[in-house]
Amino acid sequence: MVNVTKGVLVECDPAMKQFLLYLDNKNEFGRKFVLQDLDDTHLFITADIVEILQDRIDELLDQMSFSIAEK
Amino acid sequence: MAGLTYKKLVCKDLHTYLRSLTPSVLDKLYCHPATCLAVYRDLPELARHYVMRILFVEQAVAQAVVKQWSNTSPEEQVEAAAALMELRVWYEQPLPGGMPGWLLNPTFRKNLSTALLGGGTPWLGTKDLTPDKYAKDIPFLDKYALERWECVLHFMVGSNEGSDGVNKDITDILLHSHLMRVDDGEPSITAEGFQFLLMDTSSQVWFFLLQYLDTVQTRGMDLVECLTFLFQLSFSSLGKDYSAEEMNENQLRFLQHLREFGLVYQRKRKSHRYYPTRLAINIVSGVSKDATGAKLDTHRPGFIVVETNYRVYSYTDSPLQVALLGLFCEMLYRFPNLAVANLTRASVRAAMSRGITAEQILHFLVSHAHPEMLKNNPVLPASITDQIKLWEMERDRIRFTDGVMYNQFLSQADFELLRNYAKDTDVLVWEMPEKRVIIVTKAGHDDVKKFWKRQRAS
Repeated sequence: MVNVTKGVLVECDPAMKQFLLYLDNKNEFGRKFVLQDLDDTHLFITADIVEILQDRIDELLDQMSFSIAEK
Repeated sequence: MAGLTYKKLVCKDLHTYLRSLTPSVLDKLYCHPATCLAVYRDLPELARHYVMRILFVEQAVAQAVVKQWSNTSPEEQVEAAAALMELRVWYEQPLPGGMPGWLLNPTFRKNLSTALLGGGTPWLGTKDLTPDKYAKDIPFLDKYALERWECVLHFMVGSNEGSDGVNKDITDILLHSHLMRVDDGEPSITAEGFQFLLMDTSSQVWFFLLQYLDTVQTRGMDLVECLTFLFQLSFSSLGKDYSAEEMNENQLRFLQHLREFGLVYQRKRKSHRYYPTRLAINIVSGVSKDATGAKLDTHRPGFIVVETNYRVYSYTDSPLQVALLGLFCEMLYRFPNLAVANLTRASVRAAMSRGITAEQILHFLVSHAHPEMLKNNPVLPASITDQIKLWEMERDRIRFTDGVMYNQFLSQADFELLRNYAKDTDVLVWEMPEKRVIIVTKAGHDDVKKFWKRQRAS
């Protein structure tokens, strides 16, 4: 038997993968979205979550950066 | 995910462009010495060497002999031979003894020797012209060409400055090339358009002309005729006037289009003489392969100073240049001859989300750097260069690929069978033999599914 699942392959660095797993575990979006944990740098997730996820990642990165420019 | 990544603007060079033409068009193109010379100049060095050696040999030359002419690596030789094949400069022809040989395209041979040795009919309208009472000098032509071209760019960035000079032909080409698209009845710029704006002028003109040439056939004009004229024009001399009297209907129409783009100057529409401008000369060298290509812009000195504190000072009064800077900088102050801006993470990211790459931003800053900046080595402060690249990498931390996952294979043999099939049909995205998981593209899924059903049935 072969199992067939539609979704989106995510390729990222290990740290980012942990962040995604964290979001999944915490049920941040009200549901689970990680379909399969493949390896250190790959995840398989549901397709409909991608957009929300990108917003969330941008938010994270925004938090981690600060403005260096003076006006 | 196609919707999330932007298409990078590919600017074909002459070689790639010619390769995309049909053989019959190529053969017709070689009927003129100017084209042959332009193509010859564009060939790899080794290929040029080959052509020179057999230019006067009027029969096929054994491939084995050609191989012995240089001691370069076999890959380079194959590459040179392939380039000549692709452009139909030579073709394979067996020698009488059955050995494989190369034969130079006879039309190409004839016209290249004309180009090199002289003779033949004169190229451009050389009908003797009386001295022009409105004769124009080179600075005037440069100014004119730049003004015309900036009209197009102004139109694209949507500033009102001089956009009245943009007519329907230009708008059509911008739309056709997807540099702009129609939103709510008004043309507006696309991601590709932004990338276009940051290219140097010669690449812009070349890209624009390629798009224009794409549309000439729908305008009922002959591609070969246009190209031949363009090649001749690129060998003309700056500051000299040429006669338009012997040109036919189609060529005159083409000339009018070139006039609109600023490639030629004609005082009046019906004027019998025209001056090629710097934009037209050497146009076929188009996107030049080396850095010297940017030199075409140098008749206008650079004006941008970048400091290590992310400040960008732009000593210019051109609203276009300020608008371009505004694509990836946060504008702070504006003075009559100076604009001050900041490079910030937000502004650079906003530019990148429109499809502009770090490379393009850096290239723009370097190629318009103020003479004082050029004294530094490297021109831009290393911290700025690195940071812009880091901002770009930050965006690429995650890559999404649509796909369909197959897992829980019962046997390794099943897994390998399906994986190899997916690999062979080029739909495999990712595989992991340890867990027996493969991911194929969405488009390939149906095919793989059918294959799997067939396998199970048999």
